[in-house]
Amino acid sequence: MAAWSERLAGVRGVLLDISGVLHDSGEGGGVPIPGSVEALARLKRSQLKVRFCTNESQKSRGDLVGLLRHMGFDISEGEVTAPAPATCLILKERGLRPHLLIHDGIRSEFAQIDTSNPNCVVIADAGESFSYQNMNKAFQVLMELDNPVLISLGKGRYYKETSGLMLDVGAYTKALEYACGIKAEVVGKPAPGYFQSALQEMGVESHEAIMIGDDIVGDVGGAQRCGMRALQVRTGKFSSAADEDSEMIAWCPSAKPSGRKRPAVCKNRSFCPACADPGQTLFQGRGVYEQPLGQRVQEERRWVLTGATQSSLTGRTEFGLGAAGTFSRIKRLRASRWCLLG
Amino acid sequence: MAARRALKAVLVDLNGTLHIEDAAVPGAQEALKRLRGTSVMVRFVTNTTKESKQDLLERLKKLEFDISEDEIFTSLTAARNLVEQKQVRPMLLVDDRALPDFKGIQTSDPNAVVIGLAPEHFHYQILNQAFRLLLDGAPLIAIHKARYYKRKDGLALGPGPFVTALEYATDTKATVVGKPEKTFFLEALRGTGCEPEEAVMIGDDCRDDVGGAQNVGMLGILVQTGMYPLHKPSLKQMVKYTCLKNSLCRNDKAHGAL
Repeated sequence: MAAWSERLAGVRGVLLDISGVLHDSGEGGGVPIPGSVEALARLKRSQLKVRFCTNESQKSRGDLVGLLRHMGFDISEGEVTAPAPATCLILKERGLRPHLLIHDGIRSEFAQIDTSNPNCVVIADAGESFSYQNMNKAFQVLMELDNPVLISLGKGRYYKETSGLMLDVGAYTKALEYACGIKAEVVGKPAPGYFQSALQEMGVESHEAIMIGDDIVGDVGGAQRCGMRALQVRTGKFSSAADEDSEMIAWCPSAKPSGRKRPAVCKNRSFCPACADPGQTLFQGRGVYEQPLGQRVQEERRWVLTGATQSSLTGRTEFGLGAAGTFSRIKRLRASRWCLLG
Repeated sequence: MAARRALKAVLVDLNGTLHIEDAAVPGAQEALKRLRGTSVMVRFVTNTTKESKQDLLERLKKLEFDISEDEIFTSLTAARNLVEQKQVRPMLLVDDRALPDFKGIQTSDPNAVVIGLAPEHFHYQILNQAFRLLLDGAPLIAIHKARYYKRKDGLALGPGPFVTALEYATDTKATVVGKPEKTFFLEALRGTGCEPEEAVMIGDDCRDDVGGAQNVGMLGILVQTGMYPLHKPSLKQMVKYTCLKNSLCRNDKAHGAL
């Protein structure tokens, strides 16, 4: 593996995800992840600029920062890029009056926004407020608009609370998209504009920044698409067995053509993917992969290693792959050869 | 397409074709009687997520239709069959009125999720439970995926959006068992011993009834009752249809040329 110093050359700024990186949220605010308070303190002492880039949409920015400070983190409100304030800017700019499907904890962020006679819907992680009645109300508002606008604060699939994995706003956003036949505008990771605004506020160019997060699609993929470097931590949602969801499993060339699940197992040590560096091209070949919405794509691409993880189910190492230049989740790779192309 | 053979079985849609809510389509009873007078087998097929077979039967009997319970095949039956075939213990997110159709199915310690239209179950805690089961590898069985339906107080979300939410969160695909799925029609025919080429489907939904039936090699007849006036098929879609009739009862000249 290349030395850390080499991979981090030129980095001037660090963007940090919060949930799953600094702390695991949950009852009573959650718990800090061991070592993260000290790690943040070290970062702050270094020459690096630090900013927080979160999709937190259950708590207001003030509440979140208060909670983290109570846990011992060195963080202030001005350092946090959060989707609710960003959404308020958009609403004001475009003269939109939202129907809010949100958690009570974040309502204060929208105190200055006119919500009478709504002409759009804003959806955030509403938690317990995701009832059938509330979903239906939002649906009815959208169906009555000539030009339905749905703004979603992030589009995460799920996140980890101390009590287990919870559905995130993305699932409910998809429900409304499907019901109304529309596409939501996402404010939050992995939208490129969101990362860019965070970089701007930090005063760092994308090639000089690294994103640290626990979500391979929202954090790592999104940041890479913006030209940033990215690092996935093995805490938060990563450490759960369920990460196979966002983990792209590579298939061994010797896998049965039926596509039965069989993770790639490195047989030939001379090109063990586990020894490759993230970002390194693993092989070139034809792959069949399925995009999140189910479209199947088959094309010749260079496939790049994005991560490796020990499967908690099989105990074997499974590899994350992405097509160079894009970030798609691969379901199956066929008739491909493993080789390191540099 | 396989060569067409003699007609042996007729599948008839219920809501919109034989009856609309609590009223029979005028003349439908006689039409059914005439059909009974021939040698073809008749099955009644419908997409329902909240009415058990027994409820359907009672309603049809009230409307004086001559129908027996074993002739009815619903999306709930299809879901039950799939649950039995997979030998799983489902978490049932269906309306309480549909539960009789799942009598005898073991539901404790669930390892599958069956999802229909159940507004009282579609909330955060229950959906989280379903989500966690799915992440553990439980199969997701959807009765159907309708986007919304009409209620007295306006439009209301159907099961489709919630199925989509769970699909997105877990990156899986639900097995949909209702019309227009191929397996639905094949399962409905199973008891008759007929091949799809020997059967015809009569319904008011151009996509779910006629289109679905044609996909498995059956003929489809579209009646102009029920949802037809609200969702008229486009001319392009019409060309594909075998036959269009004003209603089940009136023996109009079939638009065979279409």
